[in-house]
Amino acid sequence: MGVLSDLPEHINELLEDLGGGPVIGSGDSWFYISQYTIWMLIAAVVLLVIVFAAKKRMALVPQGRFVNAVEYVVEFIRRDVGEGVIGHGYEKHLPLLLTIFFFIVINNIIGLIPGCKPGTGTMGVTFALALVVFIYFNWFGIKQQGLGTYIKNIGPAGVILPLFLLIWCIELVSLFLRLITLAVRLFANMYAGHIVMGTFAILTTLFLTPLITSFSAGALGTATASIGWMLLLVAMYLMECLVAVIQAYVFTLLTAVYISLARGH
Amino acid sequence: MNVIGYGLAVIGAGIGIGIACGKASEATARQPEMQGKIFTTFILGAAFMEALALIGFVVALIA
Repeated sequence: MGVLSDLPEHINELLEDLGGGPVIGSGDSWFYISQYTIWMLIAAVVLLVIVFAAKKRMALVPQGRFVNAVEYVVEFIRRDVGEGVIGHGYEKHLPLLLTIFFFIVINNIIGLIPGCKPGTGTMGVTFALALVVFIYFNWFGIKQQGLGTYIKNIGPAGVILPLFLLIWCIELVSLFLRLITLAVRLFANMYAGHIVMGTFAILTTLFLTPLITSFSAGALGTATASIGWMLLLVAMYLMECLVAVIQAYVFTLLTAVYISLARGH
Repeated sequence: MNVIGYGLAVIGAGIGIGIACGKASEATARQPEMQGKIFTTFILGAAFMEALALIGFVVALIA
């Protein structure tokens, strides 16, 4: 296939673009402002505007679609995640859960707009979020149970000592794995989704190019295949719209689960 | 080789999520009023399985 000969080059270009080069500072130093940082700040500003606009119009009986939509999301997190997972005493964790959900969902949705990048599409942002959650639920567990009990409760109760030590070590590793999986899950979902969408977009253009450069019956044939790639791209885009919300929900849900696990019994 | 490795990583997660999704719909069919809780549990389990596949993806990118 002649049209596919340029594909690896375009894919490399795409990966380089998704790497999000530095905007301020140079890539060699450890500190620089990348494109992802800029998009994250934009998302934060958009989030603040939305939330404050909703807050200003807050009333006992919410009026209009906008306020109702925001209140619906808040209510959803409170009922399904807060009350459903954490149970009693969930109210004081709501600010964290809501902040995380709104922040991630706004970042993901902004990344879906063509030309924009998701703030969560880089390891730095997701790892920072995961670190906040990790410190929060450990701190909460220690405060709730006391340091000694919390460390002891990492392992299971009612097991003979040698087995307890073994399982305690495994559980400790899995405790720190939570930090990594939280960060990697969100990052990889966003990154992989954008690679797939980018690849389909590249394939659409590649199959269309022969028709534009030189019109012939064969070129018309390949251009028909380009419609198929376009349809795949649209399907993938719709799927990514779903993933953007689901991943934010999963992150919030896992945060709630970890908090409820840290509370002890 | 990286791509083959990622394919292998996905097999397990694919089977796992498939089974979980099937069982979740089965459970919902048996007891529709529990739909909310079943969905939450399903998403939670799927998230853990998905993490394994995604670790495979990231390792394939790095290596």
